[in-house]
Amino acid sequence: MSANISLYQVTSVLLLDNEGHRLFAKYYHDEDHASLAQQRKFEQTLFPKINKVNEDILLYDNHLVAYKQVNDVLVVVVAKINENESLIYSVCANLTEALTILLDNSLDKNTVVEKYDMVSLAIDETVDDGIIIEIDPAIIVSRVTNPPVANAVDNIKIDISERGLFNAFSFATKKIGERLQQGI
Amino acid sequence: MSTQSYKGKDAYAGVGGTPDKMAVFQECLQQFNASPVNAKKCRQLLATLLRLLYQGESFPSSESTTLFFSISKLFQHKDSSLRQLVYLAIKELSETSQDILMVTSSIMKDIQGGDLIYKPNAIRTLAKVLDSTTVSSAERLFKNAIVDKNPIVSSAALISAYHLLPQAKDVVKRFTNESLEAVQSYKQFPPTQWQLHDFYGASTANLPSTSYMYQFHALGLLHPLRNHDKMGLMKLVTSLSEGGQLKNSLALIQLIRYISEIVTNDPALLNHLYPALASFLKHKSDMVELEACKTLVGLERHLSEDQFMSIITCLQKLLSVPRISTRFAAIRLINKISMSHPEKIMVVVPELENLINDQNRSISTLAITTLLKTMGSSSAAGSSSSTASVDRLISKMTLLMDEITEEFKIVIIEAIENLTLKFPSKHQQLVSFLTDLLREDGSLTLKSAVVDALFDLIAYLDDSSAHQLILMNLCEFIEDCEYTELSVRILHLLGQQGPQTSNPSYYIRHIYNRLVLENSVVRSSAVVALSKFAIVCGGSIAANIKTLLTRCLNDVDDEVRDRAAIALGMMKRAPDAKKLLVSDGQYDLGALESKLSSYLSTNDFTIKFPIDEIPVLSAEELKSLEYTKKMNKLEAVDTTQEASPVEGPSGAVADNGAAADALKQQQYEAELFAIPEIAAFGKLSKSSSTPIYLTEKENEFVVTAVKHVFADASKLVIQYQVSNTLSNCQLEDVSIVVESDNAAYEVEFNVPVPEIGPNGQGVVYVALSAPSLDQEDAEVLAAFGNTLIYTYKEVDDGVTDDGYSDEYQIEDLEVLSGDYVTPLYNSNFTSVYDQLSVDSDSTVVTINASSLDEVVTKLKNQLSMMPLDGSDYVPSDAASHVVKLLGKDVYGGKIAAVVRLAKTGGKIAAKVEARSDTPGMAALVCNSV
Repeated sequence: MSANISLYQVTSVLLLDNEGHRLFAKYYHDEDHASLAQQRKFEQTLFPKINKVNEDILLYDNHLVAYKQVNDVLVVVVAKINENESLIYSVCANLTEALTILLDNSLDKNTVVEKYDMVSLAIDETVDDGIIIEIDPAIIVSRVTNPPVANAVDNIKIDISERGLFNAFSFATKKIGERLQQGI
Repeated sequence: MSTQSYKGKDAYAGVGGTPDKMAVFQECLQQFNASPVNAKKCRQLLATLLRLLYQGESFPSSESTTLFFSISKLFQHKDSSLRQLVYLAIKELSETSQDILMVTSSIMKDIQGGDLIYKPNAIRTLAKVLDSTTVSSAERLFKNAIVDKNPIVSSAALISAYHLLPQAKDVVKRFTNESLEAVQSYKQFPPTQWQLHDFYGASTANLPSTSYMYQFHALGLLHPLRNHDKMGLMKLVTSLSEGGQLKNSLALIQLIRYISEIVTNDPALLNHLYPALASFLKHKSDMVELEACKTLVGLERHLSEDQFMSIITCLQKLLSVPRISTRFAAIRLINKISMSHPEKIMVVVPELENLINDQNRSISTLAITTLLKTMGSSSAAGSSSSTASVDRLISKMTLLMDEITEEFKIVIIEAIENLTLKFPSKHQQLVSFLTDLLREDGSLTLKSAVVDALFDLIAYLDDSSAHQLILMNLCEFIEDCEYTELSVRILHLLGQQGPQTSNPSYYIRHIYNRLVLENSVVRSSAVVALSKFAIVCGGSIAANIKTLLTRCLNDVDDEVRDRAAIALGMMKRAPDAKKLLVSDGQYDLGALESKLSSYLSTNDFTIKFPIDEIPVLSAEELKSLEYTKKMNKLEAVDTTQEASPVEGPSGAVADNGAAADALKQQQYEAELFAIPEIAAFGKLSKSSSTPIYLTEKENEFVVTAVKHVFADASKLVIQYQVSNTLSNCQLEDVSIVVESDNAAYEVEFNVPVPEIGPNGQGVVYVALSAPSLDQEDAEVLAAFGNTLIYTYKEVDDGVTDDGYSDEYQIEDLEVLSGDYVTPLYNSNFTSVYDQLSVDSDSTVVTINASSLDEVVTKLKNQLSMMPLDGSDYVPSDAASHVVKLLGKDVYGGKIAAVVRLAKTGGKIAAKVEARSDTPGMAALVCNSV
């Protein structure tokens, strides 16, 4: 087994929703999934194997698949079968964390669509055409610009009650987790 | 109210649905060309556009170009957050648009004087926009960016250079010094790095000052640049592995891979580089440790015992980390080791046993299959503790069986079957485990998996007591089996196997019970099974069965009555019927299919279909084919739990090998018979399975050879595949001159190739008359000297010059016994070996090889025979080993060989004893070793 010498280590990055539809999909130099039909088929057959199964990593269809499910979004990073498992999982987990920070702790389908500019920039700052640019979530976040503030009207912060149920829930989980860790 | 305002944010579609393509297109044109530009609106539009692209939509080239052009207008706007997204959009659209070069100057301006936040984006986009002719204009820019103090800018430039490699290698080559500098330098983030988001608060003390990712990118770029300079690469690797200069885990992983490549090409360098690899086994990052383990496992044959143990220790540590992915990777590696050296991982057995209950199913599956392998190894080594460990594992799995899913049970069943096949001596416990499973509740898929496994065990285990045990259990199973399909299959098997056992009446009783109690489908197959007993056993049994069957003539179901009547009719002519039932062979289905389809395509049905031409495979040959397939399949299942084609590289190769072999043979046959002279030779007996390289794979002309033996006509046809790897020359009148060192071979004719274009391929056939083994003192072994002859013409822009004739010396080709032999399976090697008495021969040779393992693989391939009784597995600490090989020669005779290997110093002594049905074959095999 000869390891992959080239820098092209990631073959695709996917964001799928809770029904397996793609929110984001980018394949890099992936001969096995060159056409859109092949890609769709891959996503659709992969989805039932990873949806609500929190096993982080699996081998599927001759590829190494690392994934994270947060609320109703699945973040998936796919690589060649003999790629370093720990590395690919780190990319996936850290990208997830970066997205969580960028989307104000509410990584869910609605927010991803709403702040698609941030999401696509974050992924572009993580993987460029198959080459991993950065795996530290803090640095990925620091590279993504906030949308421009054009009108004062849009600048009013949205009240917490306007966020979806998911946001409130994940916000609460996070806060409770923090409290517990502090031992309070 | 809240949902309303929420949805209003996305003006183009509701959440989840895709926005309308044309609407977005129109809106984009309108907004981007507006003056003044509304930055916020535009950024949102761009995001929607990207969303379309990332969800799989694409724009036709003209629309894409229009979009591209209007997006480039946004360069007027100064807002950096808009600019960042503009770059992303340009990058994504550059593939489908034309005239993309027009944005080059705007991008370059940004790189030189733009805001720091989008400078890296600009650099990465520039690489997409440039083509091979325009790269040189940006050379200066890239060089400056690579040595930039900001790590992000440097990384972006290095990555871009890497992307440009295929198009502009000579330009990128000039970045070598800058890249080297980048690897060794220390670049720090500017203090403004964390300003954008208030998430981190005012304090930046806990944030990293650099991530050293540029080291990884620079190292990655240096490799292709240094690729042809082995010494240079070696120097780079040595200096980096010692100094502790590399801080980035990814860079270290890359470094480990380079070391692996260097050592694979030149194992002598391992001693020099091992200390560095070993130090990575104790790195703080688990991905580095993992990579070091992977590499060392790949180099395992060059390692000493102690060195190997340090890998195991490292993996052992990784097995207990909380991160699932790391545990998974570690167990995957251990599983891989277990395939070749199960005894080496005995130390991690306790960890593995804990992992059986792991929450991750992939991990627990791998743990079980690995454990089963270690068990096999201890039984092969004959250790006394093995029985205990088998019992322990089985009891553990029995406990586990209650709590796991069906799918997973099937994996375990397959693993057990694999183990039983490999180590038949362990069958008792394992068979009872399987039959216990059969008794418990389960779905059809589960039960059929168990029944499949038991069927295979009957076919491949050579132990009549085991057969009886399994058959009895199956009888018991059909007593209350709710699945008709399974009952029918089992009844069929009972009909085939039952009559040969010592107590056929036991089975008859069970079958008859079916006849009374079951539905019509089962009844009719029971009738067939009974008739087989009657015909094969004869005597009083036949008389009794006759009575039983006569009763069936009054059955309510047509099919049952019909079958009973036929069976009774057949019993009257028992001898003929017996021949029909107990047939020993089967037509080669692949050949039959291709012959039939060609027969149908001729449309001439006045001629009778030539059924005689289809090769008949004997039962043994069939078994050996199935056995190989089975083993490959099981091996593949071991590497992963998925049923889909997921497997490690080794599994993939093996699988392709077995499945493709038969296909390839047919393909060769079709190709050969397209040539009338060769078609005249008649039946093709055997083609060598893998092409042999007669040149280095990197040469300008690459020649591979396949040997085809026509035993009936005493001919040998060599098929030379010639590939021209040069892009600027054309070969004409290509032929091969063959000189044999054996007078018995004479060249009959040569089928040349008229022309091989640049980067083209052609096939040259050379037919030789070959000696037949039937003759006395036939010298079959030979070596051929080959010379490639051709007219060489240079091609320049489609114009060819007159050319000149030239020749090219290629390596010799040997004819060995393997060309006359195909692997054969038999579960009882010893008895076959004892029965072969026509011819025998023995010889002693020494082989230059470092490990027994290597020799066994070599023997297997060279002689093209099948190792039996698990003798292809060599315990790594063994000093001697016995390989039992069986094959079938092209004349249909069997040939068996026992090779005793012993290590003596640096060499391996082999004593070969061969016996064969065909005279001369045994000597041939001995001489071929």
